[in-house]
Amino acid sequence: MIAERPVTALIGALGGQGGGVLVDWLVTAAEKSGYPAQATSTPGVAQRTGATTYLFELFPEKNPPQPPLFALFPGSDDIDLMAALEPTEAGRALERGFVTARTTVITATERTYSTAEKVAAGDGTVPARPVLDGLSRASRDLIALPMKELTGGVSPQWNAVLFGAIAGSGVFPFSVDDCRDAIRSKGVAVDRNLKGFEQGVEQARLKAPLPEEEDGLAYNGPPPGFEAELDRYPERLRPIVGHALARLVDYQDDAYARLFLDHLRTVKALDTSDNMALTGEVAKRLAAWMSFEDVIRVAQLKTRPGRLDRIRGELELPDDAILNLRDYFKPGHAEMAGFLPGWLAWMVPKGSGRAGSGWSLHWPTSSAWGFAGLKLLAGRKGFRRAGSQYGEEHAAIGRWLDAIRAAAPVDMDLAVQTAKAAIWARGYGMVRREGMATLDRLLDGWTEKLSDPAALKAKVDQSIILAHANPDADIH
Amino acid sequence: MDGGAAIPVKKVAVGDRSFAEEVRKLQMGAGEEFHGETILCVTKALLQAGVSYIGGYPGAPMSHLIDVMADAKDEILDPMGIQFEQSASEAAAASLLSASIHYPMRGAVTWKSVVGTNVASDAISNLASTGVTGGSLIIIGEDYGEGSSIMQERTHAFAMKSSLPLIDPRYDMEKIVDLAERAFEMSEASNLPVFFQLRIRACHMTGSFVAKDNKVPQFSTRNPVPRAEYDVTKIVLPPASYAHEKHKFEARLPAIREYVRENDINEIFPGAGGPFGIITQGGAYSMVIRALRQLGLADAFGNTEVPIMVLNVVYPLVPEQITGFMAARESVLVVEEGNPNFIETQIAEYAHKARIDCAIHGKDVLPMAGEYTVDTVRAGVAEYMTEFAPEPYAATAGSRYQATRGAVDTANRILRDHMPEPLPARPPSFCTGCPERPIFAAMKLLMRERGPMHVSMDIGCNLFGSLPPFHVGNTVLGYGLSLASGTMVGPALDQPVIAVMGDGGFWHNGVSSGAINAQWNNYDAVLVILENGYAAATGHQRLPSSGETPVGAASEVTIENALKGLGVKWIKRVDSYDLPQTINALRDALDARGSQLRVVISDNECMLARQRRERPQKAQAMKEGRAVTQERFGVDPEVCTGDHSCMRLNGCPSLSLKHSADPLKETPIATVEDSCVACGHCGEVAHAAQLCPSFYRAEGLFNAGPLRRAAHAVNKRLLSMMGAYE
Repeated sequence: MIAERPVTALIGALGGQGGGVLVDWLVTAAEKSGYPAQATSTPGVAQRTGATTYLFELFPEKNPPQPPLFALFPGSDDIDLMAALEPTEAGRALERGFVTARTTVITATERTYSTAEKVAAGDGTVPARPVLDGLSRASRDLIALPMKELTGGVSPQWNAVLFGAIAGSGVFPFSVDDCRDAIRSKGVAVDRNLKGFEQGVEQARLKAPLPEEEDGLAYNGPPPGFEAELDRYPERLRPIVGHALARLVDYQDDAYARLFLDHLRTVKALDTSDNMALTGEVAKRLAAWMSFEDVIRVAQLKTRPGRLDRIRGELELPDDAILNLRDYFKPGHAEMAGFLPGWLAWMVPKGSGRAGSGWSLHWPTSSAWGFAGLKLLAGRKGFRRAGSQYGEEHAAIGRWLDAIRAAAPVDMDLAVQTAKAAIWARGYGMVRREGMATLDRLLDGWTEKLSDPAALKAKVDQSIILAHANPDADIH
Repeated sequence: MDGGAAIPVKKVAVGDRSFAEEVRKLQMGAGEEFHGETILCVTKALLQAGVSYIGGYPGAPMSHLIDVMADAKDEILDPMGIQFEQSASEAAAASLLSASIHYPMRGAVTWKSVVGTNVASDAISNLASTGVTGGSLIIIGEDYGEGSSIMQERTHAFAMKSSLPLIDPRYDMEKIVDLAERAFEMSEASNLPVFFQLRIRACHMTGSFVAKDNKVPQFSTRNPVPRAEYDVTKIVLPPASYAHEKHKFEARLPAIREYVRENDINEIFPGAGGPFGIITQGGAYSMVIRALRQLGLADAFGNTEVPIMVLNVVYPLVPEQITGFMAARESVLVVEEGNPNFIETQIAEYAHKARIDCAIHGKDVLPMAGEYTVDTVRAGVAEYMTEFAPEPYAATAGSRYQATRGAVDTANRILRDHMPEPLPARPPSFCTGCPERPIFAAMKLLMRERGPMHVSMDIGCNLFGSLPPFHVGNTVLGYGLSLASGTMVGPALDQPVIAVMGDGGFWHNGVSSGAINAQWNNYDAVLVILENGYAAATGHQRLPSSGETPVGAASEVTIENALKGLGVKWIKRVDSYDLPQTINALRDALDARGSQLRVVISDNECMLARQRRERPQKAQAMKEGRAVTQERFGVDPEVCTGDHSCMRLNGCPSLSLKHSADPLKETPIATVEDSCVACGHCGEVAHAAQLCPSFYRAEGLFNAGPLRRAAHAVNKRLLSMMGAYE
């Protein structure tokens, strides 16, 4: 019996993923195995990081009675194989009708985030798992490739892995050997591509189940000497409180961690929310805020034991290679002045504050003297409490805690939301100054505002939404 | 300010891009099977037709033709005496066809349409008036639909207003190659240059045909035309121009119609001969036949019971062919992409004049405008068949169409159950390490300081500056036209005209319509030229300022010399990756009001090209044990607080997000992916905008010499003593 239709593959690639080479391999494999085939693409602007699509059609008979007619466009519910090295790209193909019950889908388990997701100030990312679940249930079959695990995150042979998975999926009638021949005959990075290809073939064979969803959070245990205090918190809250205490001891000292507990206790005493949500929220926000990153903290983090080795690992440096590390520091007026006590801070020159001006450092942290300099600064923890920034931050923390404590008896949800508003105390430099000013405005006249809790809650909710949104959104 | 010192001539290396394989294929002889993409197959057709000259301006989707020809000098062009030019603009390319006015030389030119045709229109209109003696072919890449980066217009109207034949071939490789060769005969038979149109996907379609020998042209650099000819009737001046206009309609177009009729250029697939049928553009045939197959009305080989008339020449139509097809039918469906629907309205006129009672459908069931994909055509054909075709066709089409819809709806419902929000779109953006990105970060920062500025943009990669995350760029009007198009805006806003232009745009039209115009009129204007050394968007073709001619010989054209020649005095060249330098140059330029035209040249080679060149060099050095450095940027996960300010000033694909393991971090933190090419822009932005101390530049030095290694050992000991290692 003559086949009724060609076998059709739609391949969605992002610029730089090597989609063109992949299609070349497919065409060559078809030629070598003797099946009629055709490919086309819409490269256009695709070399520049946009999404592009390739269409490959093969007639599953070697000597058909007439030349088969191939199409230039995919048709909905007419795609046998949809491959995209990005799960949302596969999802978008589904939205356009190119993934249906007849389609085998090959995609990656990891996301490559789009600009729209990156520019949100909060978490604008779309998770991969629900998209993969949807694809899996809507399609004939899903082959999900853990690309970063397979390729170590290095992109050049992504297309070879995908080619292997296509060959191994059995959707096309050509043999895996024909595909290996295609890679060899193209003669480009043959060994590396064959290695990737075999990984893909193996993945298609394995059809590993989707990885379990995890929150990926790692809690540090509480520092010694805080056991009794920790026991006063319900089981649920102990990981976050313990983590917070460990952070603050690392940041400053035991006394600082106890200051945290003193603050938290006053909130806990008022907390009537389910599961003590308010206390949990405040614990998380308060610890983050109290470990505000001043120059001392940055110096401490940049001289962490093991940091240099971690960075060597990123570059995959062998032992005999030399690491030359330059940290990008730009201590502005606020950072320098914040380091000094208020009565000395006036001495720090203000500068023009214009973009591109000021003191730019490319600090040689991998050199002994560069490291020593930072180490010296990191050792100035003892001076922190005397610095003007410390005073300002803790005054702001006090205003925020007061607002939460005032709100708690009136409206517990409002108190929880007020705790969340601490997100504004983030970043460095101008970002931090603007964020703190926004929070100040929100908390200003709090007692009077509390007379209309509903209106206030709306205001706080709105502020939190704004804190997570893309600040440039109103530009377009 | 530039003191007039000698400007070093730029030298880029297009080098390692080789089209040797394509050049070899183009030399295939009779009987050999030629496999390749359509645009290459058409190139072969030109050689088989005996062209004397070829020219063009690169642009997707037909740049490949120019790339390959530029590499074919020694093997093909010189031995056959064929002239080739990568022209400085489409107008220059179209002007080449002037060679075929007097002399019986076949010639072909190519560009992206409709934009290239617009630029070339002056030459085309004059050529259409004069007419040609030698066969003249204009191959246009019709950039309409998905993947296009230009305004959506079709070339059809252009062909009509200049009375030029427009071939829109059915996408079968043998057919395409045959028609490309016949186009020269058509041109000679009618004295008209001929448009040969290929859509984007068709240009990149793979296929094969049986080759013929290449034909050495009658007249060429190896066999010159005997003498220069003079004939005043070929000059576009009255009274000759009036005669030309009459000649078009009394002789030339009728000659085309006769050729089309006599040679069966348009095709009829009679099907089962029912009282219905489809009239389609050749280029839409493959969509029609796939739609029919999906609707259960055709098999995989295109055998169908639905009668189809394929117009491989969509202008001019041959009325008696059309009326002949319609005479026996109650209705026809016209499948014609774009608007106005010239074919449908002409067909209606023919039917009316011939008093044929046949209902004409088209835009009533198909979309008014936009690309005709398989899905859009299927929807239209299904509606036509169910409403106007007899049973069993109507029922078959209807049920198959509903089945497809059902399958698609089911899949979408399942996805929405898991993922209610729509998935993020992915508009194009600058590549990793693109040297054109920093200028937009600089402008965004300057706007934070000075408020919004109106920036007029140009054609090319630079236009992505108007998209997220930069949002810099208010208008775009054409290639090389950014400066001119800001002319009336700047004074109206009481700010200098700010125009961004690539080096490609500068040479294409920016020198004359932009720089000369602004300088001569004494405009208060700032021109930012992004000099990356290539026509990067279309595949890294050389430019006048690349330091090389299109075929690789040395050239000394520079942007500065051109500007100085116009009397421009304020010129600053900045290292595009040096953000403070860039910001300060822009600030100075904006503030230098009253100094006529100020030009900031933002200089750095296209990173794609640079990487392509440097990667193999580094690998080689590594292999030979020479000292090699390898760089990348990184973000300290503990230091990043996750407010994403850096993302909003950067947009680099390598600068991404990851979820932090720290429970105290609410939002994902920044991360630099392995694809980083260490351009340094992320660090520069963090500096210039005083964002954060998270960024670092890490450089690995391989194969260091003994001295460096000894120093390194000492350094490591000291670091170890300070507790740098775990």
